[in-house]
Amino acid sequence: VQPPEKPLQGEEWNKLREDFQLPEKFEELMLNGMISCNSPIDVAKSLLTYLAKRNGDIAYSVLVKYLRLCVQQGQVSEIRDVYDIMKVRFKILESGAYNLLIKGLSNSDQWRMALTLLEEVKKIMVPSRTCYESCIKAANRHQEMKLAFELYNEMLAKDLVPTLDILQSFFNFSRGMKGAELQKELFGILLYLRENQIYPHKTFMRSIKLWFESIPGGNWRGHLTNIKDSGQCPVCKHQLEDSNLTEEEYSNLSERIIRDVIHGTDTFRKTSPKELEAFQTFVENRLPFDIVIDGLNVSHIKSRRMQCENLFDAVNCLGKENARLLVLGRKHMLMNTANWKREIMEEMQKKADFFFAENISEDDAFLLYATLRSGKHCRFVTRDFLRDHKACLSDSLTRHLFRKWQRGHQMVFSSVFSQQPAFRYDCVVQTTGDTWHIPYKDVFEEKYSYQVPRKWLCIQQK
Amino acid sequence: MQCANMLLRKIVRSSVLPFAAHHGMKKDLFPLSRTLSLSLCLKQDKSCEPSEKLDLDEWKKVMKSGLQEEVSEMVLEPKELSGLAAARETLEMWRLAGRAVPENISEEQLKTFMQCPSKSAKKKYLKYLHLKELHKKNDKRKMDEKRERRLEAQSQASNTDETKKSSFVCLWSSTMDKAYNWRAAQSMIFGQPLVFDMSYEKEMSVREVTNTVRQIVLSESCNRRSVDPFHIHFCNFKDDSLYHREFIKHYREAWGKLLITVTDQCYTEIFPKDKLIYLTADSPKVMKTFDHNKIYIVGSMVDKSIKTGVSLARAKRLGLETAALPLEKYLLWSTGAKNLTLDQMMHILLTLKDTADWKKALEFVPKRKYCGFVNKPVKELKKTLDLVNTLKLGKGREEIEKQFAKNHPKKYKIK
Repeated sequence: VQPPEKPLQGEEWNKLREDFQLPEKFEELMLNGMISCNSPIDVAKSLLTYLAKRNGDIAYSVLVKYLRLCVQQGQVSEIRDVYDIMKVRFKILESGAYNLLIKGLSNSDQWRMALTLLEEVKKIMVPSRTCYESCIKAANRHQEMKLAFELYNEMLAKDLVPTLDILQSFFNFSRGMKGAELQKELFGILLYLRENQIYPHKTFMRSIKLWFESIPGGNWRGHLTNIKDSGQCPVCKHQLEDSNLTEEEYSNLSERIIRDVIHGTDTFRKTSPKELEAFQTFVENRLPFDIVIDGLNVSHIKSRRMQCENLFDAVNCLGKENARLLVLGRKHMLMNTANWKREIMEEMQKKADFFFAENISEDDAFLLYATLRSGKHCRFVTRDFLRDHKACLSDSLTRHLFRKWQRGHQMVFSSVFSQQPAFRYDCVVQTTGDTWHIPYKDVFEEKYSYQVPRKWLCIQQK
Repeated sequence: MQCANMLLRKIVRSSVLPFAAHHGMKKDLFPLSRTLSLSLCLKQDKSCEPSEKLDLDEWKKVMKSGLQEEVSEMVLEPKELSGLAAARETLEMWRLAGRAVPENISEEQLKTFMQCPSKSAKKKYLKYLHLKELHKKNDKRKMDEKRERRLEAQSQASNTDETKKSSFVCLWSSTMDKAYNWRAAQSMIFGQPLVFDMSYEKEMSVREVTNTVRQIVLSESCNRRSVDPFHIHFCNFKDDSLYHREFIKHYREAWGKLLITVTDQCYTEIFPKDKLIYLTADSPKVMKTFDHNKIYIVGSMVDKSIKTGVSLARAKRLGLETAALPLEKYLLWSTGAKNLTLDQMMHILLTLKDTADWKKALEFVPKRKYCGFVNKPVKELKKTLDLVNTLKLGKGREEIEKQFAKNHPKKYKIK
C-alpha cells in the first residue's frame, strides 16, 4: 500500500477506502504502509481523524500502529497523548503497546515515565527484555548507574537474558566514572559473560577496553592480540587458564554423562544393562587409555578407500608414540564384508583395544564414558559434533562443562590425516586481578556454536 | 440544540484551548454532547465546508470526549486486577491487538493457559484454541446451510408426493452395524490377535494422548468394517488412566460394548513370547511378509517430539522380535518421519492380511511422504542408475562414487 504524501480530507480518504480491495482492512494496511515508508505523522493523524469521525471510535490495533509510527519518529508528545487515550479507554494494555510506549518514552527527556510504565507492566505480567533494555539504557544515559543496575539485577532474577546491548551500555556510560561499587558491578558483568560463555562482539569489546582505560587512577592498558596455541598471551606473557576441568567438575560431568546420556529415561534405548555392564568391566580392566577412537566415524574419512583401511591408517598414525588406544565399533565390523576385511581387523586388534557394541546400540555414549573414565589426559577422535548428546544433558551448567571439556579433548582428523590439536587453554573471559583476558567475535553474528573466537583483548594494570 | 452545536464546534476547532478547560466546560454546559452527536455534527459540518483546513488532532477529542464519565470513575478507583480476571483482560487486549486468540474461553481453558510454562507455550495454546473455535464456527455454519437446503428440498418433495417401492425396508445403517458386530464377534473367537501396547502414557503430553486415542478409535472402526477383522487387544491398559478417560469421552456408553479385549496384563503374559513381533520404525529388521500365525504389537504412542527408540527399548527389554515396514524397499521416500499413524498402520496390516500385496498396502502411506513406488530395492536401482550414467556419460567410476558419497550421510548407521 502506498500511503499519500500529504494529509487528506475525509472525503479523499473515503474515496481511497472505497477503491481499496479489502475495505475492512483498509486502515490497518494503510498504517502498515505508513510505518514502512516512515510517512509524516500528519498523514496518519488525518487518517485517524477520518476514522474517528466515521466510526466515533478508533480500534485498539489501529492506535497501536499509530503509536508505532510515533515511536519510530520520536514524537514524544504524541506518544503521551496516545497513552492518555489508551489509559482512559482500556483497563490494561497488552505487551505490544507497553513495549512501544516504554521504548518511545525512554528515548526522550520524559524517560522517568518509562520507569513508571515498567512498574505498571510488572503488575500484570513479566516485562519483556526489550522493556528492560529501554529502561536500563535510559538510566545509563542519564548516569543513574545505581538505578540501571537495580533493573539489571531484577531482570536476571526474573530469568530474562540481557541483550548484549544492555551490557554494552553499562560500559559505554560508566566511562571515566569513579567508584569502587560501580567497578565491582561492571566486573560482575564480565563474570556474567564468563559464566555463560558469551563472547562480546567487536564494538562491545571496544567499549570494555575504553572503560578500563578510562578508570581514573586505574592505569589499565588494553591490547588486541591473538593467543598462541601454547596458551600464552603474547602481550603480557601470561598463561591462560587451561582447558582441564577441576576434579569436582570432572566427576560431576562423568556422572551426568552416565545418568543422562547413557541411561536417559530408559537404558534400553541406547544400549542394554547387560551390554553397559560388559563395557564398564572391559574399560575398568584396561584403564587408562590415551586416545579413544570412534571407529565407524573415522572409517568414513576417505570415501574412496575401504573403511577398514581408513581405520587402520588412523590406528597406525595415533599409535606411533606408544599411546594406549581404544577403538569403539559395532559387531558388524567383524563380519568380514567388502568394507571390513578380517585380516586387517585382526592386525588392528594387536595394536589397540577394541570394543564392539551391538549393531543397534549407540557407540558415541560409550566413547564419552571411556574417555572420561581414563582421566584428564585422555582425548577422543571423532568428527561428530556430539550435539545430540549435549542435548541430553539436563541443565545448562553441565552443558557448558561438556562443551568446555569437548573443546579441550576432541581431536578431529581431516582427510589428509593431519591432526587438529585440541585447545590447551580455555576460551572464556578470565582474570587474575591485575589482568583481564577477553575473547571477542570479529563479526556480530557468529554462526556456529562450536567455533570459538581466536582474537583476544588483553588488559593489564601497570 | 442548534446553538449548542455551534458553540461546541467552536470549542472543538479551537485546539489552542487546553484540554482540561474543554473538558470541564463541556461537562457543565452540554451533557448531551457524547461521541455520537459530536461526530455527527462534525460530519455535517464537513459536507457544508469541504475546503476548510484540516484539524489533525480532532481524533483525540473524539476519543476522549466519549468517555468523560468513565474517566472520573477510573481515576477515583484504579482497580487492582488479579488471577483469572487479569488473564481474561490480557486475552481481550491481545484479541483487540489482532493476535490469534479465541473469542470465548472457558474457566478451565483459562487455567490451562495460565499454567503454560512459557510465553511461547501460551501463544501456541491460544492459537490452538483460536483455530479450534474457527473450525467449530465453520462447521456450524455449514450445518445450518445444509439444514436449510434439506428443508427446502423437503418442502419441494412434499409438493410432488410420490412413494417409491422397494423390496427392502430402509434400515441400512443399523443392519450394517449388526453385520459388522457379528464379524467382530467372530474375530474375537477365531481372529488373529493384534495388540495395542498402552504403556506409553508417561512418555506423552496430554495432547499426544488425546491424539493417540483418536487414532485408535479410527483404527478400531476400520477394523470393524473390514472383511476379516483382527481381534484387537489393548494390553497394559490401566483403569482410570488418561487413555481410559479419553476413550470414554469418545465412545461414551459404547465403551463397555466394544468387541475388543481390554486388559491390564502385558502381552507377554497372554501370548507365547516367540509368537510376538513388535512393530517399530526403529527396528533393524525389515518385515518381508505378513505372517498369519504371529501376533503383531503396535505401540499406542503419538510422538511429536521425535523420541527415537522408545518402543524399540520396550521390545529389547522383553526380548521380543521386532520389525519395521519395508518402506525403503517399496517407496522412494521423500520427506517426513517413517513412523506412521495408528490408523494408517491398521489399514496397512488389514490389507496385508487380506491380499499380501505390499503395493496395495503401502497405498495408505500418506502421499506427501514419498515420491513413488519402486519395483526394485532402492539400492539396486542406484546401481543400475550409476551404470547407465557411466555408459552414457563416460564418467569415471570413481567420480560417480565420489558424488554418491557426497550425497549420502557419511556415518554408517544401521537403523
